[in-house]
Amino acid sequence: MKRVRLGAGSGYWGDMLEPAVELAKRGQLDYLGFDFLAELTMSLLQRAKMKDNTKGYIPDIVPWMRTLLPITHAQGTKMVLNGGGTNCVAAADAVMADASRAGLSGVRVAAITGDDLTDRIDELRAAGVSLQNMEDPSRSIDEIADRIVAAHAYIGSESIIEALDLGAEVVIGGRLADSAVYVGPLMHEFGWDFGNADWDLIGAAITVAHVIECAGICCGGMSSQWKNVPEPWNMGFPIAEFAADGTAQISKLPGTGGLINQWTIKEHLLYETHNPSDYRMPDGIADLTTLRVNDAGSNVVSLSDMSGRERPEMLKVQIGYTDGWIAEARVLIPFPDTLAKADRCEEIIRKRLDIVGLTPRDLRFDRVGIDALAGPLARRPRRDPQEIELRVTAHVDSREEAMQLNREVTHVTTIGPVGTAFGAPLRPREVIALWPTLVPRELIPTSVVIEEVASSVAIA
Amino acid sequence: MWLSLSDLAYTRSGDKGDVSNVGVMAFGDAEYAALRIWLTPERLRDFFAGFVLGPIAVYELPRMNSFQVVMQKALGGGATRTLRFDETGKSVAALMSRFPVPASLLNGSETL
Repeated sequence: MKRVRLGAGSGYWGDMLEPAVELAKRGQLDYLGFDFLAELTMSLLQRAKMKDNTKGYIPDIVPWMRTLLPITHAQGTKMVLNGGGTNCVAAADAVMADASRAGLSGVRVAAITGDDLTDRIDELRAAGVSLQNMEDPSRSIDEIADRIVAAHAYIGSESIIEALDLGAEVVIGGRLADSAVYVGPLMHEFGWDFGNADWDLIGAAITVAHVIECAGICCGGMSSQWKNVPEPWNMGFPIAEFAADGTAQISKLPGTGGLINQWTIKEHLLYETHNPSDYRMPDGIADLTTLRVNDAGSNVVSLSDMSGRERPEMLKVQIGYTDGWIAEARVLIPFPDTLAKADRCEEIIRKRLDIVGLTPRDLRFDRVGIDALAGPLARRPRRDPQEIELRVTAHVDSREEAMQLNREVTHVTTIGPVGTAFGAPLRPREVIALWPTLVPRELIPTSVVIEEVASSVAIA
Repeated sequence: MWLSLSDLAYTRSGDKGDVSNVGVMAFGDAEYAALRIWLTPERLRDFFAGFVLGPIAVYELPRMNSFQVVMQKALGGGATRTLRFDETGKSVAALMSRFPVPASLLNGSETL
């Protein structure tokens, strides 16, 4: 029975490179996939592109591909990534230039376009798409229309399959759904077609993709099993071996750190998947309630009985829009009487904000170590802690107001209790809020641009 | 006698927008059966009062002895605009682990 070996090379922008290099060298992989994008990332990249139209992709991918491509080319492994962000063609150009310098003649690099809807908002609305907010249907897009930074559709595997059919060794997409980075290669390898699909198999592919798409986070990273995880600093990233019958095994390379067992896989199957019988991705809907998870050896877990349903007609679109500024400031309060001093500092800051007439949209005081994480669920300690960090955050309308908030927190160190310590100030940050919505898939066609490294020629 | 959820299950949390989800993985069949009775949206709403402002759903995954808890308006507006330090709600799993469960449920006595 045909089996396809997929490795996960990255779970987020900023992930470690070493595990991907190990997988490329020793994983005997058919494909190495990479996810670099979080919900906010596309808006940040769009801004970078507006400042410089040769940018807008994840800058890390250029040195990463420079390191990995000579290895994967020799091993016959193909790479699929969503690090092209808002400028896949520029990313592909940069990767091509390095491949050319490395003498990798014949290597084909593909860029996927079509997910960027930033300049199509008016057109979509004219076509009758409401762009209603999925989290709050009462809100109209009109209230943010003049503050939109970026709008991108989570797209599926069609263009990945096309690029692989065209012989691409590196496929660079933008807002590919994380799962598509792995579902696309499986569909290409097994010859599956959306027009005549076995949706249980596609559901299985989406499920397996979900398990490995955050890389080390299914291998004992961020884990309830942390006490039993060996050498997380040498974390081995996951390998999924997907069989033609829709079963799979998850494993990692021998000699690496991390842990794969039923618990680390279960905790990742549940990670950010919400309604488990309706895990919606652009390529299909996975049903996570039918599958079975079994330990199948040391650091090997098998997955079976996975299922799915036909892909949704609507694609999720994430719109980013500017929404004021956040100021953050902090002081450290020493013993004795830390609790009373923190209360006094809060009182001082509130009074100062009244005096200068600053009314934030939202204002928050955290006593770090007591209630910063638990908020209203925290219990006030019976005894004074040795130190308290008083963290003050505010959501305000402008950068100027954010700076003013910082100044008023600084004042507490000169007019407040003795010993109140301050450090380097934190910079205000502009808020890009997110507006999730749905758009019919037929309005979001994607396409492939492919380039090939020329054969090296002797320099005359 | 009361137990904590962490006596019966592992937890891990994540985010999407302003939605926090907590995966609850029971240690075994008995723990799963106890939590099926006790881990309800109503009790979670009371437990997370003031922290979670929207509706709460609890989904069952019997083949994994697990539950998925999905809580709306739970992260102070979502990662990009919340004032919380824990922008993505990774620590919500720890809060959940203290959810109280009557020990009698696990001992086989269903009378509370």
